[in-house]
Amino acid sequence: MQTNRYSLFSLLWEACRGNTGWKPAWRKAEPASAYDFVIVGGGGHGLATAYYLARRYGGKRIAVVEKGWIGGGNVGRNTTIVRSNYLLHGNEPFYECSMKLWEGLEQDINYNAMVSQRGVLNLFHNDAQKAAYIRRGNSMILHGADAVLLDQDAVRAKVPFLNVDDARFPIKGGLLQQRGGTVRHDAVAWGYARAADRLGVDIIENCEMTGLRIEQGRAVGIETTRGFIGARKIGLACAGNSSRVAAMAGLRLPIESHVLQAFVSEGLKPFIDCVVTFGAGHFYISQSDKGGLVFGGDIDGYNSYAQRGNMPVIEDVCEGGMALMPRIGRVRLLRHWGGIMDMSMDGSPIIDRTPVDGLYLNAGWCYGGFKATPASGLCFAHLLARDEPHPVAVAYRLDRFARGAVIDEKGMGAQPNLH
Amino acid sequence: MSDALTVSRPGFTATPVRGGRRFSLQGRATTLNGTAKALGLAEVPAMLGTAQAGKCTLLRLAPQELLILTDDAGLPGKVTDYLATVPHSLVEVSDRQVGWTLVGERLHDTLAALSPLDMRARSFPVGCATRTLFGKADGMVWRTSEDTFHLEVWRSFAPYIVAMLDAAALDAAW
Amino acid sequence: MLLIRCPYCGDRAEVEFANAGEAHIDRPADPMSLSDEEWAQYLYMRDNPKGLIAERWRHAHGCNRFFNAIRDTRTDRFVTTYEIGQPRPEVTPEQAEEAAR
Repeated sequence: MQTNRYSLFSLLWEACRGNTGWKPAWRKAEPASAYDFVIVGGGGHGLATAYYLARRYGGKRIAVVEKGWIGGGNVGRNTTIVRSNYLLHGNEPFYECSMKLWEGLEQDINYNAMVSQRGVLNLFHNDAQKAAYIRRGNSMILHGADAVLLDQDAVRAKVPFLNVDDARFPIKGGLLQQRGGTVRHDAVAWGYARAADRLGVDIIENCEMTGLRIEQGRAVGIETTRGFIGARKIGLACAGNSSRVAAMAGLRLPIESHVLQAFVSEGLKPFIDCVVTFGAGHFYISQSDKGGLVFGGDIDGYNSYAQRGNMPVIEDVCEGGMALMPRIGRVRLLRHWGGIMDMSMDGSPIIDRTPVDGLYLNAGWCYGGFKATPASGLCFAHLLARDEPHPVAVAYRLDRFARGAVIDEKGMGAQPNLH
Repeated sequence: MSDALTVSRPGFTATPVRGGRRFSLQGRATTLNGTAKALGLAEVPAMLGTAQAGKCTLLRLAPQELLILTDDAGLPGKVTDYLATVPHSLVEVSDRQVGWTLVGERLHDTLAALSPLDMRARSFPVGCATRTLFGKADGMVWRTSEDTFHLEVWRSFAPYIVAMLDAAALDAAW
Repeated sequence: MLLIRCPYCGDRAEVEFANAGEAHIDRPADPMSLSDEEWAQYLYMRDNPKGLIAERWRHAHGCNRFFNAIRDTRTDRFVTTYEIGQPRPEVTPEQAEEAAR
């Protein structure tokens, strides 16, 4: 007998027989000739879409097509932060929906994704930032999220090793979302893949989409490196490669691809027990359960598909870290990596139909896609199944750029490299 | 200026430049050329080049921009007379910037710690001037002779640059 | 660190420059005659190529001029840089191959 449900009983059962009965978490599926739904892109969002499509919308005959391997893209290389501390009406309900899904995720998919609500603390350094955070905190509370404004003493008590009295950027306080935190990133991919697989979803790895077949204005399937796969509906969830895949349908997107780097230090004893973000530079840090400091900063600032970063940003990130917490100055960097971000023109995502019938788009997550994984999957599944946007994702329309209804959380304008 | 702006380490000295005035002139190539002619030069210096005309030094920092360093008397009347006849932008930036004269046998090692620019003679000959970054501060460097450089940054960057030069000179002296 | 050749100042380090997105996107001569979709195409939609891209840079900590560059986004290698206003230069197969290396 093989074991595929994780429980205390199955753990004990397998312990008694040398762990020989565990099944692979998901099948190595071969592509069938046709499906009802084909999701292009086997990252977190694509897998979550397939899972919710099968689980909540009764979808049958679903395939996820991935050009590499599951967990090998951005979902396996991010800074694992989850939060719902947004300001704008178009965003906050969506991210709060995501936060609630994170809270029930492990029971939902029967997988330990190490969801840890250790709190996300955004620091402020001057009165203007404080006013902005009060406004944001109120917006969060009005949308049903949690937010607490900490003064300087409270920050000092919570995170005593910060450089609170820095001459240039003294820390005046912070906005804390206690329900935010971190989630083991690749466990999210594995967990969704396993849960989707158990609902009959075919997860087809090493299968790259090379073309789109359109007949009489309707998408009828995709060409891949493993042959043609027919589909009634096709969902694109390709992150940094969204523009390339959309170009196969003759579409141009309001998206530029940029490199974002993230960093992990050597393992240390636990000393950072929440997520901390610097308000005077771009720097965010947390400590993984393994002990490594996980941190990151800005994107490199120019279009790139190179999946490797550059020295000036590494320097910038390290300077931000030193300004925030000087005690990490002698910590050694273990590894760092660069992933390709689909930076949208207003910094907010797109979950919508495309002008091509049967073709749906999920893109523009910038460098904040990980926290959105469950809600992105849920809303995209809703759209694919019902052909109408999910109530919390109604603002994420592709035509908002033509209508002028952009959702610009940072107020930067049409400058993807500044979001 | 106070001695706080002086850097003195074995093999490297940065001395603040006292007196003199600075003007930033922006205009089309013909305007810059006309200005050079008004000062008695044949033509405006080429990109990254400099030229001396009486008490004025012209530094070509950009295709459309000249930095003009003068004595305390400022721009000669013939230049302002000429500029009155053409479209241009002329701004006195005397107090915006602080300048230093850099000398010493550790000069190159010290500068190399602040800028990735190759400032050896073959790529940065005498008379060459350019804006670049020194650490995080935007600044202008001009090679005035084989072993003397002139450095300028905005006044608010001065304490930073002094600290950086001091640390770099200390490293270079080891 | 990228080494970028400013057409006016020569080879300089990446930190002196600021990227300004895709090049050769002309502002429509008569915006009032455009539909919302056409205006969105101009303002928001980009080719975002994987491969050779023509893009704008500004020598922010140098001569402060904008210029254009051809670069391979797979490798971040530059093919050439040229002044604003010039047409996009032809890239020979040899140049493209070198940039893709």
